[in-house]
Formats: sequence, structure tokens, C-alpha cells
Amino acid sequence: MKDDVRTLPKQYHDAIEHWQRHNFPDFPKLAEEWDRFFPKDEPFCLCAKIAEDIPTQIEVGERKGEAKALAPKDLPEEAAQHLLMQIKAQASTEFGSIQQHQGTLARAQEPQDHAWALRVMAEELRHGYQMVHLLTSADWSPVTDTKAADMVEEILSMQTGSHVLAAFNLEYDSFLDNVVFAAFIDRVGKYQLTMQKISAYKPYASSMPPMLREEAFHLAAGVIPLRRWVEAAARGDGYITMHDIQKATHKWFGRGLEMFGDERGGETNVRFGLKDMANREAQDMYVEECERMYDDLNERYVRVRLPKLSRDEAEKAFARIKAGETVEGVSPEELLRLPDRRFFRRRGEYAYQMVGTTGESFSAVEQYVAHVLVNLPEAYRASIDVKHWADLQRKVSRGEMPLKEAISSMPRLARMSGGCPCAKSVRWVSSQESVN
Amino acid sequence: MSDVRVRPMTELDIEGICRIDERITGKYRPEVWEQRAAYYIRRDPDSSQVADVGGRVVGFMLGEVRGGEFGLEEPTGWVEFFGVDPSSREKGVGRRLIEALLGHFRSKGAHVARTMVATQDKDIAAFIAAMGFKPAPLSALEKRL
Repeated sequence: MKDDVRTLPKQYHDAIEHWQRHNFPDFPKLAEEWDRFFPKDEPFCLCAKIAEDIPTQIEVGERKGEAKALAPKDLPEEAAQHLLMQIKAQASTEFGSIQQHQGTLARAQEPQDHAWALRVMAEELRHGYQMVHLLTSADWSPVTDTKAADMVEEILSMQTGSHVLAAFNLEYDSFLDNVVFAAFIDRVGKYQLTMQKISAYKPYASSMPPMLREEAFHLAAGVIPLRRWVEAAARGDGYITMHDIQKATHKWFGRGLEMFGDERGGETNVRFGLKDMANREAQDMYVEECERMYDDLNERYVRVRLPKLSRDEAEKAFARIKAGETVEGVSPEELLRLPDRRFFRRRGEYAYQMVGTTGESFSAVEQYVAHVLVNLPEAYRASIDVKHWADLQRKVSRGEMPLKEAISSMPRLARMSGGCPCAKSVRWVSSQESVN
Repeated sequence: MSDVRVRPMTELDIEGICRIDERITGKYRPEVWEQRAAYYIRRDPDSSQVADVGGRVVGFMLGEVRGGEFGLEEPTGWVEFFGVDPSSREKGVGRRLIEALLGHFRSKGAHVARTMVATQDKDIAAFIAAMGFKPAPLSALEKRL
């Protein structure tokens, strides 16, 4: 079944194109790369896509079986407020990831990697467009005094550093981050979209299937380059080592876990019929999937490192190495591994607990800070984000700052008061009257 | 095999598909399957199917609905690559894969599925025939260049 395609009213469509010119200047390259790398695929469309075959009844929660809401006013007020926060957070992630990708996009070594990342960015732009469609095509006045234009403007004015979720406030250090981000952070995105597919708000539920179809490729755009890099690293002729990938994993994994929300929460969204899983349940599935991903990558590494072994022998060798043995010179330390889920955490149940990459506990804060620093990528260590974390970790550990205050602290705020960077007087969203 | 789960292929199935291909052909061709998997995932991630048992891929079937190939304008479900681990054959895995794939083709509006089988692949030809495929009023032609 084909999706219904919708375009935003001109003022919002123009505002997003204006945002794209400032934040995604490489977007025009997509058309030429599309012809080369995706010649049989339908052309990219900056539009909202609405799936038509969506259940009409609420699927989970205390109102299960009732008709899904078609407008915010049809939802209980608290549910509508949660939903609005979800949509705004989702929008922030879509636009935020483009800003992050753009910084290092040009550093891709392979033309295909560049084209794939460019397509991922364009599709994230479409997802942001989809969220703006949800904000502007309904009356949200029952739950907020903020006008749609102001909500859109707030989202479009966010910069890396002022987004809703921490994962979208980290600068990329190299193209390695573009790829590891796609493998880990887009995977969280897949979980969120999948959970929201059952949303009690039908327009939101209808937005999810087209986004999920695109998100599937985003995960491939992370995993497949990683597979090739792992193979090159095993041959010893790669530019990116297993150690580099491991450190990038340490940078992103905890931020991905935190995108699920506090491990102890999420029941409210299930009760309201907005998601079908609470936070911990979804996070557990995510971790299991990340482990599968790393098993897959490690298996490929072992196959190249031990080329004389048959497929079955290599699989047995991998199992032994994973269990801690060194087999024919390949040691467990060479393989990729997920850090303990409590490592380098700033939100949730394990925020600011001093747990190392392999689950070891630290009692002295300076030892812990040193442990985290040595396990992070060098360029990231020099960032304001890491300094901010280390300062907070010290304060929390010494009892100088309440945990709650540390959890809500952000390294910097880069908002621009709703104005676009081309002139303070020009706003992202112009009213029809002023355009005319 | 009651514990077989048939589901859409994801990017995490590539190594499992390589394993089956290697067991059948004797060649490890990860680059080939990475490109193929990326193609099908980006065009329609719900289409291509894998069969897994306890998280291990034991069969795969890749295909999609396209129109306009060879002048055939109607939406056609193309069955293009498939394989079942030799140790999992004769257990209905292929049948379950093709049923899932054809079901998806129908949901996308296709009323016909097509495939091509090399003349020497007698086992594959037998399987395809057993699944209800019949010779089409088209001939596969080629010319060496």
C-alpha cells in the first residue's frame, strides 16, 4: 500500500528549506550522488508520508480498544502533554543528527560511504519535516499556549549543544563518528519509532512505518562500513583500528542507552498507549541487539585474522576467543566489546556511578576520571562535553552537587532565540502576511 | 522445524547469509552480500526474508516488487536470491521463506511473482516448481560479448 504524501504549508516548508541551507549545505549534492549510487530508487522527497493501514483502535494501555485519537484534544490532557514532548524530542533528534553529520561528512574516505551518509542525512531531514507536520497540522492549544510557529522556530533554532537529548549534543570527531552513530544511535531511533508505531494518537502512529523503512537503511549505513573497516583492520592495512572503533563505542554507547529514558521509568507512556514498552525492557532488547552486532563484526575479524581456518573452525575459534582464550595469536583484547551499561553514564539509574568498561567499580573519583578518559577517543577527550562531565563527576562523587542537579546539567546552551543565523531580524518561520 | 522464525532481513543478518552462501558455494563473499543486503534494505526492508533458529540464520530469500522490467509494466514480485543452510534442508524452511516473501509481494499490490533458474540447478528448479511456479511465456536469451 502506498503512503499518502503531504507537503507543509509554504511558511513551514520554506523555513525547513531555509534551515537546510544553513545547516545542511551539502544537501544539493544528493541529487548527483543519487543517480550514481541509488539509480533505481525513487527520488528523494522532502515531504511527510502517512501510512494508511494503521489500526484505528488503541493497542496498549488503560484505554486499549478505544478509538485512537485523531486530534490532541481527543487524548487525556496529560497524555497529550507527553505526546507533545515526544514529538518535539523526536524532531530535535532528526535535525540535530544532520548538524552532527554535516561537520565530518566530507571526511568520508569512500564515495559510497559519503553517498550513504548523505542519504541518511536527507532522510533525517524528511523525518524532521514529518515531526513539523505533526506539530503544525493539529491544534495543540488544549495542552500548550505556544503557537505552532513558535514550536517550530524553537526546534529549528537548536544547535549541537542545545538539543533535547545528550547524544545529539556531541560533535563528531571524524567520519568514524558518522558511522558509529548510525550503528548505535540510529538503532535507538529504530526502537523509539517501533514503540511509537502503536501510538494512541493516530497521526503519529501513521508517521512511523515510512520513517522505520528509511531507518532500516540508516542502520545498514552504520554496520556495513564498520564490517569493511573491521576486515581492513584484521588485514593490518586499515586506517581505522579496532581500538579506534572501541573508543568510539565508549563515546556513544552510554548516550544511546540514555535515549531510552531512566531505566526505572516509561510506564506512563505505556499506560497512555503512546509506547508498547517501558524503558528498561526496550533498553535490554537494544543491548542484546548491539551484542549481536558486535559478535557479527568480531566474527568477520576472526575470519580474516585466521584465514586458514574453515568457516566452522573459525566459528569455534571465535567462541573460544570470546570466552577469554587466545587462539593462534588472536587474543580477546583484539575484539570489540560493549562497555558495561553503567560505564560513563550521566542520566538514568546508573548516572554518575563509577563503573568501568568491564563492570569494575571505582571508589576514588580521580582514578575513575582517568579510566574514562583513557577509554575515550583522543579528540573527544579534549571537548567541552568531557570536561563538563568530569567536573560534574567530581562534584557528585565528593558530595558537592546533588545527583539530580548533575543529571539535568548541560555543558552549554547554543540556542539563538528563535532567529536564523543570516540575520537577527529574519526568523525561521515567516508569517504568510510578511512573506507577501 | 517448529522453532523456525521467518522475519524480514536486517543488516545484522549479513554474516549469517555469508555463512549459508559459503556452505553452498565454498566461497566467502562478504562484500557481495553486503552490497546486496544494502540494496534490498534501502528499497524495501520488509520484503526480503530470513529464517532463523535461536538467532542463527538458516535460510534467506531476497526479492522485491518492481514494475517495468523487460517491458512487464505490471508490479512483479521478483524472487532473486535464496539459500538454505544444507543442514536445515528438507524441513520446510524454503517453503516458509517463499510464503512470507510472496505474502509481502501481494501486500504491495503484485499479482504475479517471477524468478529465473539456471538450467543446471535442478534442485532449485524442483523447489520452485513445487512452490507453484510454472514456465512463463518468456524466454531468457543471451549473447556472449
